[in-house]
Amino acid sequence: MKQYIIIGNSAAGISAVEAIRQRDKTAKILVFSDEDYLAYCRCLISYYLAGEVKEEKILYRPESFYKENNIELLLNKKVIRVDSKRNRVICEDKSQFSYDALLIATGASPKFPETKGIKKRGVFGFRTLKDTKGIAGLLPVTKTACVLGGGLIGLKAAYGLKKRNVEVKVIIKSRQVLSQMLDFQAAGFVQKRLEENGIEIILGQDVTEIIGNGDIKAIKLDSDKAFESSLVIVGKGVSPNIDLIKETEIKFNEGILANNLMQTNIPNIYTAGDVCESFDVTRGEHSVNALWPVAVEQGKIAGANMSGDNLNYIGSLGMNSIEFFGLPVVSLGIYKVKEGDTNFTELKLCDIKANIYKKIIFKDNFIVGAIFVGDIKNSGIFLRLIRERIEVSSFKDRLLQENFGYPDIMDLVKDKEQVYV
Amino acid sequence: MKQLYYDVKKCLGCKSCEIACALAHSLTGELFKALKEEILSLPRKKVISSKDKNYPVSCRHCKDPKCVEACMAAALVFDKEKGMVLHDESRCVGCWMCVMVCPYAAIRPNIKTKIPLRCDKCKDKDEPSCVKACPTGAIIWQEEVVVEK
Ligand SMILES: Cc1cc2nc3c(=O)[nH]c(=O)nc-3n(C[C@H](O)[C@H](O)[C@H](O)COP(=O)(O)OP(=O)(O)OC[C@H]3O[C@@H](n4cnc5c(N)ncnc54)[C@H](O)[C@@H]3O)c2cc1C
Ligand code: SF4
Repeated sequence: MKQYIIIGNSAAGISAVEAIRQRDKTAKILVFSDEDYLAYCRCLISYYLAGEVKEEKILYRPESFYKENNIELLLNKKVIRVDSKRNRVICEDKSQFSYDALLIATGASPKFPETKGIKKRGVFGFRTLKDTKGIAGLLPVTKTACVLGGGLIGLKAAYGLKKRNVEVKVIIKSRQVLSQMLDFQAAGFVQKRLEENGIEIILGQDVTEIIGNGDIKAIKLDSDKAFESSLVIVGKGVSPNIDLIKETEIKFNEGILANNLMQTNIPNIYTAGDVCESFDVTRGEHSVNALWPVAVEQGKIAGANMSGDNLNYIGSLGMNSIEFFGLPVVSLGIYKVKEGDTNFTELKLCDIKANIYKKIIFKDNFIVGAIFVGDIKNSGIFLRLIRERIEVSSFKDRLLQENFGYPDIMDLVKDKEQVYV
Repeated sequence: MKQLYYDVKKCLGCKSCEIACALAHSLTGELFKALKEEILSLPRKKVISSKDKNYPVSCRHCKDPKCVEACMAAALVFDKEKGMVLHDESRCVGCWMCVMVCPYAAIRPNIKTKIPLRCDKCKDKDEPSCVKACPTGAIIWQEEVVVEK
């Protein structure tokens, strides 16, 4: 009987398992996780921290999922090495398991800067339910907190803390929030909304020291200013969990390199999710796009192909949707162009009073990216125009009109129209 | 499995379907009372005009639904037996991931309720309310026909 091993019990891993089971009902499937929980909605830990999502609703699949799909789940079981020559994986506890096909979907871990005091108790990453429970456990004695980093994770952590009545400051090295998904102008809208709701944003400064004996007392900035703070959350980006393949012949850059079948350079080893680098359709090169929908999509393709299918992955792109205090924001593909770069053109609409900002970035007559603040209803259409590389010159003037929509592009998309007769 | 189809030649763009939809999803189901409800019921269907024709746009309950794939709260699921995408509102956090990926822009944010607006085919009724509301019979409710891709 064929044996599949999936390292990673999250977005990519679960979606791969489902794809395998659709095609192969009998094979043995082993899923490994170095965490202690059934698969959960990782992106909801900030809502969990805020008290808006209860533990029973954070599970990604019902408890019965593993049994119903005949999956052997090994929790708290860290794989430390892949032996691609002998087709087996080796765990921290020295146990070994062999596979016919392997999926590496180990995700990513928070990066910690080398700031003085970063190892102190009370400094947390924000990635797992365990991190979240650790933070929540300190809330009864926490009045002030600092978040390092103004990316998605940092801001979400700040939101969670604020909702629990902690006075929170976000310390950001760059000149804007969300510099990995928004331009300066769009970021301004988000920053304003956060500030209006009591989250303090400090731009252009870095933390040089976390101060305190035993418990944290304060943080010090490079401007020599210091803030009282008894809790620190680090949101300085993530790096792919690739330690387990570093000594193999599996190729990697920042992440493990995947081809258009989500296969590594070793034919029976596949990879998906935050740990991998796949072809990025807007950049035209391989890139890590560490996002939930991307992980699900890639996991599905990997699982299908591991069980004999031949699905082609057209590639990933950076995209995200967030909402803070009633302000929705979507970013797709390339969101910022270097000043003076004549390869790109832009179309923009900005209404500060209405809190609406829209920007579309073109290369020749193709859309390569977009930002929507306040009004995001058509973002799915733009994602499609980007992914399917649809030439837009014939309807460019309609793109930002209120009633632009699917009917405008239906003759140009890949799938044949089904419902209009 | 029944699906919604549209005879576009007949659609006048009068938006009767939009009103019927909003009404069907209101608390009271009566026009004048519905208008006074604390949170105004919004239509899950939108008529969009393009090149002199009108197209009612609503969720197609895709077999390979992008919204379900993107739902990071596992609130959206595809129910194979019903052939429908279902939404568990108690799990939804209003992140709008589904809005970002729907290839038809058929799921829209409702910022007030933090729950996306999406056609549920009027699940408790025999047929979707928009069907009867259309004065020209442009909305067709019939067994699915699969067009070759
Ligand atoms: C607070 C927060 C908010 C987020 N918000 C968004 C958002 O709004 N939108 C979005 O698109 N994305 C968001 N993300 C990112 C999203 O969570 C990830 O892209 C997604 O979880 C990636 O899934 P994955 O399956 O690749 O890896 P992960 O979810 O990281 O899972 C990795 C799995 O591998 C296991 N594992 C790792 N190493 C080993 C090992 N050596 N041995 C055994 N098991 C191992 C882990 O236990 C885990 O089960 C957010 C993340 C966080 C933390
Ligand atoms: S919301 Fe959009 S993606 Fe989801 S099933 Fe409906 S049409 Fe398909």
